[in-house]
Order: sequence, then C-alpha cells, then structure tokens
Amino acid sequence: MIEDYKITAADWEPLDFDTEDAEKIVAKNRTFLGDVVFRFSRKTSALIGIALIVLLCIFAFVGPYFSPYSFDTQSLEFANLPPRMKAAEVNGNYYYLSPNLKVIALSDDGVVKSTLTKQSEDGINKRMVFVDEDQEITVDYQTIPAVILSAENESQIARTKNIWNSKYLLGTDGLGRDMLTRLMFGTRISMIVAFIATFVNMTIGMIYGGISAYAGGMTDIIMMRIVDIISTIPLTLYVILIMVLMEDGFLSIIVALSSVYWVSMARVVRGQITVLKNSEFVLAARTIGSNSTTILFRHLLPNAMGPILVTATMLVPSAIFMEAFLGFIGLGISPPMASLGTMANDALQGLRTAPYQLFLPAAVICLIMFAFNFVGDGLRDALDPKMKK
Amino acid sequence: MLKFAGKRVGMMIISLFIIILITFIMMHAVPGGPFTRERELPEKVEKALNEKYKLDDSLPEQFFDYIKGLVRFDLGPSFKYQGITVNDFIENGFPISAKLGGVTLVFILLSAIPLGIWSALKNGRWQDGAIMLIATLGVTIPSFIVATLLLYLFSYQLNIFPTYGLESWQSYVLPVLALGGYSMAFIARLMRSSLLEVMGQDYIRTARSKGLSETQVVVKHGLRNALIPVITILGPTVANLLTGSFVIEKIFAIPGMGVYFVDSVGQRDYTAIMGITVFYATFLLVMTFIVDLFYLMIDPRIKLD
Repeated sequence: MIEDYKITAADWEPLDFDTEDAEKIVAKNRTFLGDVVFRFSRKTSALIGIALIVLLCIFAFVGPYFSPYSFDTQSLEFANLPPRMKAAEVNGNYYYLSPNLKVIALSDDGVVKSTLTKQSEDGINKRMVFVDEDQEITVDYQTIPAVILSAENESQIARTKNIWNSKYLLGTDGLGRDMLTRLMFGTRISMIVAFIATFVNMTIGMIYGGISAYAGGMTDIIMMRIVDIISTIPLTLYVILIMVLMEDGFLSIIVALSSVYWVSMARVVRGQITVLKNSEFVLAARTIGSNSTTILFRHLLPNAMGPILVTATMLVPSAIFMEAFLGFIGLGISPPMASLGTMANDALQGLRTAPYQLFLPAAVICLIMFAFNFVGDGLRDALDPKMKK
Repeated sequence: MLKFAGKRVGMMIISLFIIILITFIMMHAVPGGPFTRERELPEKVEKALNEKYKLDDSLPEQFFDYIKGLVRFDLGPSFKYQGITVNDFIENGFPISAKLGGVTLVFILLSAIPLGIWSALKNGRWQDGAIMLIATLGVTIPSFIVATLLLYLFSYQLNIFPTYGLESWQSYVLPVLALGGYSMAFIARLMRSSLLEVMGQDYIRTARSKGLSETQVVVKHGLRNALIPVITILGPTVANLLTGSFVIEKIFAIPGMGVYFVDSVGQRDYTAIMGITVFYATFLLVMTFIVDLFYLMIDPRIKLD
C-alpha cells in the first residue's frame, strides 16, 4: 500500500552500480539464421506458403503411390466423368447421363459400373432406349439437357440425386484417365522442372555474376553488356524457339528454361559482389594468401546468399508459369505424360461440357504460384528488413 | 539527348543483329531441311526446291541473303503454305493484334494508375486492402487461366460476352481483361508503393506547409514524381502484352499475329517462326527505345548515360 509506505533515509542511498552488470546481455544471443527464422515465422502468409509447398510436395511425390491408376491408365467407356454426377434413379438403380448421351450405371455410393449399350433409337420422338440387365432405360433428348425418364410413367422425368464419383474422385479426362492421378503426376513434373530450372539458373547466374563483379574492369563491362543485350530479347520467344529446335519432352523444357532466366540472377549477384568485394574480410582473406576462386566461392558468394535465395524463390513461380504456358500452347511434355499446362490445354476443347477438367489444373497452378510468391516475400522481408516495401 | 539517342540506336542495332543471328542459327540447326517430309520427294523436285530457296548455298551466304531481304522488309516465303509470304502473315495478323494490344494498354493505364493512387491515398484502410488483394491475385494467376475462367463464366454460363472474334465492343471486354490483368495488377501495385514513397518526402511536407490543397499536393508534387517508375515499366509491359497475346488470341479465336506464331510453331514452319520472331523483337526494341526517350524527357534528373 502506497499510504503505508514510509520513506526512510536509506531509500536515498545510491545503489551499488556495477559496470559489469550493466553491460551484461540478458537475452539469449541470436544468430543471424535464428533471426531470419524468427522474422520469417512471424509472417503468417509465409508460413501458409511453406505449408502449401509441403502439402503440394506430398501430393505430387507420395500421392501417386496411393493411387490405383497411373497417369496413362485409360478406360474410354468412362471418359469425361465429372467428380459429382447427377444420377437418375430408375427402380432403385442409379444411372448417370453424360452430356454426349451415354448412360452409365452407378452404384448408390457413386462407383461407376458400366456403360450401357443402346438398344434402339426413336429419331422422331427423340428417344433412346438402353438396356441394363433386365430393365430398360429411356432417354428423352428433346430437351437440352437430355433427361432419363422414369420407369413407371413414360411422360415423367426420373428423380435425380447428386452423387460423388467414388471411383474417380476428381473425375476423368477426355480419354477416361483419372484426373486426380494425372494432377499428381502433373504437379510432380511441374515442380521438378521448376526446381531444376531454378537451380541451374541460380548456378549459372552466380558464377557469371560473380566472375563479372570480382574481375571488374573491362571483363565486367563486356560481360554486363552481353547481359544487357540478352535482356532486350523477349525471353518467351526464345524459350519457344529452343523448344521448337529440340524434340518435345522433359529434357528440352529444362534446357529451354535453364538457358534464359539466369540473366536476372547474374545481375543480382553482380550487384552484391561489387559491394562486398571491397570489404575487410576479403582483404583479410587475400592477406593470408587465398586465391581468387577461394575468395569468390568461399567468402563472397556465401555472404551474398540472402538476395540470391530470394531471387531464386521468385524464379520458381516464373518457371512453373513458363512450363504451364508452353504446355498450354502445345509445346510441353510429350503425351501421355501429364503436366499442369498440357492438362489445361487438353481441357480447352471440352470446356463447355467438362469445365472441371480445366478448373482442377488451374487451381493447382494458382496454388503453387501463391505458395512460392508468399515464401519469396517472406524470405525477402526476413533476410533483409531494410528491403521492405 | 541526341548523343544518348544515337548510342541507344547503336545498341539496338547490335542487339537486333545478335537476335537475328541467333534465330537464324537456331532455325538452321534443326535436323533435316524444310522439305524433309515423311514422304520422300523425288530427288529432282527436292533439288529444284533447294535451288529455288537457295538452300545449297553456304550458311553465311544464306544469312547474308536473309539480312538483305530484311533490309527491304522481305521476310521470305512460308515453307508450309504455298504462295504465302511471311510478310502476309504479319500484314494480316499484326493490325488485329496491335488493335487488341493498344486497347488493352489504354485500359491498363486508365485503370491501374487511378487504382494505385486511390489505394495509396487510402493506405491501410479497407479500400487499400481490397485493391491490393485483387492486385496480388492478378500478379500470381497466369493469364491463360484468367482467360479460360472468364470465358467459361461470362460467355458459357452467363452468355454476356461473345466467345470469339473482335467484331463488337463486347467482344473486346474479356480478351482485354485477360491480357491486361497481370500488367494492370503489377502497375497498380507499383503506382501505390511509388506514390507512398513520394508522399513521405520532405518536399511534400513543404508543399503542404505552403498551403496547397491536398489535390494540388498529390497531383502536382506527388504524382509527377511517382509516375516515373510506372513509365519505366511500360517497355516490359508492351513485351508482356505481345507474348501474352499468343494464348489469349488462341483462347478467344482472334486471328492475330500470336495465333500465326503459335500455329507456325505447331507446324514447324521455320521461315514463319524466324520472320515473326525477328519482327516481334524489332518491335519490342523500338518500343523500349521510345519509352526510354520519353522517360528521359519527363525526368530531367536522369543522367544522360
């Protein structure tokens, strides 16, 4: 209680002032890495990005082992089945009528059983009759969309109910291949392409930019002029040209993507090294007799790793985008292998009747792009708080 | 100024020459000649064809011939379509692409700059948050996905806009949105951050303290300085619109140059690929040059380097 407190003369005595204590650091000493991790983990969007990337990797690399299908397992009779089917009930059995007028028998928990054979067609009344074991299914296609008529009364439309497709969880594509499996393989291809391309670009950019900056003088001027000229060339055009030059396939995409994106990396590295090479630690290294290679690769480049990593993270989404773009204009992975871009391209023809075939790869592409952009932003802020927008 | 322009033109010619050289080498490195088909041609015919197109000459000679043609704006014949030259492709396709690109560019500038300014002035409030969220979406979602989703939603489901061609003003809406979406979002973000930075400067405080109205401060002192980064990005934006048009034209069935390019890629029509690439590259270099000159004119602080 404040009222009770009596101020005594002792309160006015100076405290023992210990200089040692005042200089003591109480909090734990944080390393640079710890600092980066701390700042990174405080950004929700960056953590969401990391979580998304992990999930996507599991989806792409582990997922296919749990799938009963492969990317090229096709069953043409079950082509273009959506993930959620409008099933008509006839005498307790369920039938799905596809937009191209095929009738597919379903179990009540959504397992597709078989495509029914057409028995007869009445072109005047626009009716078709299909047979399933011992019952007849009548389809009326006077109206759009066509309907299945109920068994008891010919003039009545059968009751319908929406059932999830439980044999093909995300439906099938135009050739009856499981969308989910193809998505997994597509994501895997896109990610592998993006990672390898980024790694190669990073390596080339680091070496090129490092040498240019470290050598300085005329070498620097010439090397950077070359980079200037390359950067005036529209990269998309050149990736396309390289793809035209080589056979379609995995390797050519990697070569195409790896050979053009290093320019921005080289510029970043050069900027960093030019500043760093005048630091004392370089002088110290030189004094103890290290040669240029050691100084460049052991001292300079590791110190410039922050901006390099940020640029690399930002390269991943552009590589994913480019791969999807190439697939979309028909230059990607050769079929039957799936990539997200080729899947989107395949879906374009059937967009009106089977839009889910486009939405699914589109959603995955967007997720990957978001994830890497979030992580890149987070890394940038964490590695260099000064660079904050 | 003149010295700068001269230097840039020199650089441009060197770049262009290198681009042509690389394209030429790449197209001639393709295994097999343009007349190698599944079905063998009679030897005489092949010889005559090779002679007509001077394919028996040495590569440097062919390159020199190609350059000679280019100087006269002659890009040579198409290897896949008889009697059609690459010039025809460009004459047919370019006006259409240019019209779409031009409309898109105007739309981008008229929408992104005001949105960015608005967002910056409402910094931290919900309007800012909403605009920046949409802009982030716009920057991350690839244009071909935006295009197909728009097509599905507005043309197939809602039937508001036509699905193909460029006949009426309605048919411009979706392609322009899809083509310009990325650049729009990017420029809006750039405009916002640049205006925010400028508004924190000392001279803005000076302008306020001498009693100018807020509009005058923003327009005369803030905007003029904040627009500079936006102008530098215009060159790359034009490049983006050009390459983006490959897929947008394909999706909306617009008979522009992008479609010709993608078709010639698909059919391996090497002269057409080469010609259109050279044309694109030249166009882009000239555009960047113009943007740079413009940039120099509005910002006297830039060193004539």
